[in-house]
Amino acid sequence: MSPSRRARAKKALPSTYTPAPGHRFKVGERVAIKRAFPPGHRRTPYYIRGKEGVIERICGAFPNPEELAYGFDGEPAKVLYRVRFQQKHVWPDYEGPARDIIEMEIFEHWLAPVAGRAKPARTTQSG
Amino acid sequence: MLIRRDCIESILFQSAIPGRGPHMTDKSPNKGPHDMGGSAAGPVDTTDHGMRFWEKQANALRSTLTGKKVVRLDALRRAAEDLGDQYYKLEYFERTTAALRTVLLEKGLFTEAELKAKMAEVRARFDVPRESRSPASKDRDR
Repeated sequence: MSPSRRARAKKALPSTYTPAPGHRFKVGERVAIKRAFPPGHRRTPYYIRGKEGVIERICGAFPNPEELAYGFDGEPAKVLYRVRFQQKHVWPDYEGPARDIIEMEIFEHWLAPVAGRAKPARTTQSG
Repeated sequence: MLIRRDCIESILFQSAIPGRGPHMTDKSPNKGPHDMGGSAAGPVDTTDHGMRFWEKQANALRSTLTGKKVVRLDALRRAAEDLGDQYYKLEYFERTTAALRTVLLEKGLFTEAELKAKMAEVRARFDVPRESRSPASKDRDR
């Protein structure tokens, strides 16, 4: 792609990334996904609730889709994180290699801190 | 816009969609029908079925309304999830069209009566045959 075409493409598709100044968790920090089952449109899959993972990156802050779903404006924006989980932890009968991971983007209000040392994680800071 | 009655009317009126409401079991309270991660899966049909004419039109309408921020994707997802047990009885575009109908009515962009009147008008204009199979109430033919 030529530089001018690339510039046009960039203009046409602006990044959705928005800075997240007030984030509660740091990259590498261990978090637990809340074990909660509220009714309504929820952006956290059932199977990951109650599991523990490590913050892989901070994706940005976005209007809360769980509010947008009902016609509200989604403000204040919620910080979105990418969280890394061990497959064997998420699926106890997982048969693949122990190093296999699954990553998922989860909003801050679904996360709780986990006491103890953060696991070292090969992570990318983007926030 | 030409809408094929046999494909879409029962979705728009939801006359054939009984038992609407959030899917709920004791084992997994408030688990939506879309939230299927970890569920047993059968064989996966990888055939490309293409898109029917009405599906292209319905999808274009949905894209336009979300693109112009008249409706939000999140609201459409919520309305689709609220189809409960009907979620997987409907095909993809039937589901998204049913969701669009719900959200547009919620927003008051038209009323149920106006929709019904417009459907009658369109049906008469294009002389669409009355006999129709309901996508929601009959098994799919493929």
